[in-house]
Amino acid sequence: MGSLYSALNIAVGSLQAQQAGLQTTTNNLANMNTPGYSRQRPVLQEADPVIQGRLAFGNGVTLTGIESLRDSLLNLQIADQMQQQAKSQAFVDTMSQLQPLFPMDTSGIGAGISSFFASLNGLAANPSDSSLRQNVLAAAHALATAFNQSAGQLNTTRSNLDLNVQQDVQEVNQLTSQIAKINGRLAATSSSGSEYGSFLDQRDALVQQLSGLIDVSVLQQGSSLTLTTRQGTALVVDSQSFELNTRLDSGDATRHIYAQAGDITNSISGGKLGGALEARDQEIPSLLGQLDTLASALVTKLNDAHKLGFDLNGDPGGNLFNPLTGIGAAAGMAVAITNPKLLAASSDGTSGGNGNIANLTAVATQSVSNGMTPIQAYGNLVFQVGSSISNAHADLSASTNVLQQLQQQQSSVSGVSLDEEASNLLLYERAYQAAARAISTVDQMLQTAINMGAQ
Amino acid sequence: MRLTATESTILLNALNAADRAEQNALLQMTTGRRVNVASDDPAAAAMQVQTANQLSAGDQFLRSISSVAGELQTADSALSSCVTALQRAITLGVEGANGTVSQQDRQALASEVQGISDQVLGIANLNYNGHFLFAGTADSRKPYVLDPNAPGGVAYQGNDQTNEIEVESGYTVPMNMPGSQLFSASGASVFEALSDLATALQNGTGIDTATQSVRAAFDQLTTSRVFYGSNVDQLLSDTNFLQNENLQLAQATNNNVGVDMNVAATNLVNAQTARNSALAAAAQSSSLSLLDYLGKS
Repeated sequence: MGSLYSALNIAVGSLQAQQAGLQTTTNNLANMNTPGYSRQRPVLQEADPVIQGRLAFGNGVTLTGIESLRDSLLNLQIADQMQQQAKSQAFVDTMSQLQPLFPMDTSGIGAGISSFFASLNGLAANPSDSSLRQNVLAAAHALATAFNQSAGQLNTTRSNLDLNVQQDVQEVNQLTSQIAKINGRLAATSSSGSEYGSFLDQRDALVQQLSGLIDVSVLQQGSSLTLTTRQGTALVVDSQSFELNTRLDSGDATRHIYAQAGDITNSISGGKLGGALEARDQEIPSLLGQLDTLASALVTKLNDAHKLGFDLNGDPGGNLFNPLTGIGAAAGMAVAITNPKLLAASSDGTSGGNGNIANLTAVATQSVSNGMTPIQAYGNLVFQVGSSISNAHADLSASTNVLQQLQQQQSSVSGVSLDEEASNLLLYERAYQAAARAISTVDQMLQTAINMGAQ
Repeated sequence: MRLTATESTILLNALNAADRAEQNALLQMTTGRRVNVASDDPAAAAMQVQTANQLSAGDQFLRSISSVAGELQTADSALSSCVTALQRAITLGVEGANGTVSQQDRQALASEVQGISDQVLGIANLNYNGHFLFAGTADSRKPYVLDPNAPGGVAYQGNDQTNEIEVESGYTVPMNMPGSQLFSASGASVFEALSDLATALQNGTGIDTATQSVRAAFDQLTTSRVFYGSNVDQLLSDTNFLQNENLQLAQATNNNVGVDMNVAATNLVNAQTARNSALAAAAQSSSLSLLDYLGKS
């Protein structure tokens, strides 16, 4: 038999359920612009029926919990893609700053090489002319300066990157310790309600931030999350985080990244750190090395050729550039003579001879590295810089596209839809009104029952 | 698929992409270049390094040629007046050999020959742009000085060296001819021959022989002088070659890194259209949601 009281209870239960629904909807609306927020919804369930004999009466609604809508796999894919994207972005940003150091024409080392050899040809026309000699010295100076500037800028960028690496590592440590804390709280809380959901949201957001910095591999066990780098260096295990630190390496004068296991610098392959390290440890040293090789070869060959000749005073030529080879040759390249008379243009000791200029200009067609002439070696550098940037650009736009796609997908799962929430508001309001109406109806009926026979 | 309020992100991405495309097209149009940095097209950029180097070398060759050609032409025209002077000397010698000429007239002829010798000396000591043209590479001092002990009374203090200059990649031309091949070649010295002729005219003996010597010196000079004329011709044809080559290099630059204006303009228009339509779509897409209609009964 149904009773008025059980009807009243059902209606009250409904009021509570609709209120919970309203609260969830309001919370969704409040967080619709919160980064990392996953929309929530109340989990309503039919209450167990009341069995009376052959009749089973429905017993209203029960609120069993509040659930967050998220797709963990999607979140992992997003984190994964962010590592790629942040890496390419960091690399492209750095290298794009350096690209102007390697212009194709009109300026820089290439133009410096061309102008230098051109000035020698100009001097050949009138080898005793002091303004033409000055011209050659100025061109030599400009060439040395072009090398100095490029190498200097590469070195500066490298040490800036080094500083960034330090900061990024600190940020990684902050994030891992926050994630570990959340892991701890999640382990402590038995609630599966909205509190739980918001912790997960926060943690997902932190993992994504972390993915922007370093390559992370995520292992989910129940509510706990284990984070390692791709190479397996532990970052977070349950409620414990493992700090990374940086130490200045005496070998290459950059900061290396250490975990408990040791130096992991070379194994970091993703995130902003991955991109910065690739630029700092591979691309820039390779460019610097090639600049040094080119500068060394030019200095040595031009000096050798210069020494074959005689200056305006009839004395044998000395060094045209300061003899400097190997590492740092490009950064330290400098013209050795300041007096234009000391330029050894003559091959017979007479002031009007220009025979040695042919020896000097011959360097332009000689191999300086791997069978390449100076200008070819420079062209090769330009190609290397250009292609590494354009490849990274291609990677960047590919991963950006994928990321945008994934984020839209995620938004369709976890995002807050205004229309949906509005219609929910309406539903809860209507249901609440109906339950309230039911209560007042039961009330009237009770009154009728109470007043029965009271006349 | 559930739709949520992601228009703003989509719009932002679309606008970013359109902005980038627009900037790129604008840059290409303003610089006239498709490849503005190496990453735009690494292979084309590397090739442009070579082309720019060749262009720079070509420009320099042209400048050097014009400087050298000026020098060669000056030398050639000086030698041309020298040739005329020697012709006159030969005429004087032939005149003086005629038995009817009086001693007094021969004296006059002799002093004219002496004058010619002075004139030739001046030409042999010609200075151009601070250096002496006929001194070999020892061109900082006068190649010919008066020296009573020297044969013909004039001593050569230049050398026998020549300078060469590269005028096309890998191709050099000689720039000068030393005086020792022009004025004081052994057995055909202009000064010796003129001096002998002057002496012979004064003495009235051996005039024919002396005139023969002047003729030999004249032949030597005219033969050697051909060097200047032919080199100038050579340089002029090099100039044409280099100018053509530079044109071709400029064309290559254009093909390699230049922009097709039609393409760039189309790209610009496309980017602008994309941007405008993204904005228009955003304006069209209703900012209204169901919320706006509730409670408005």
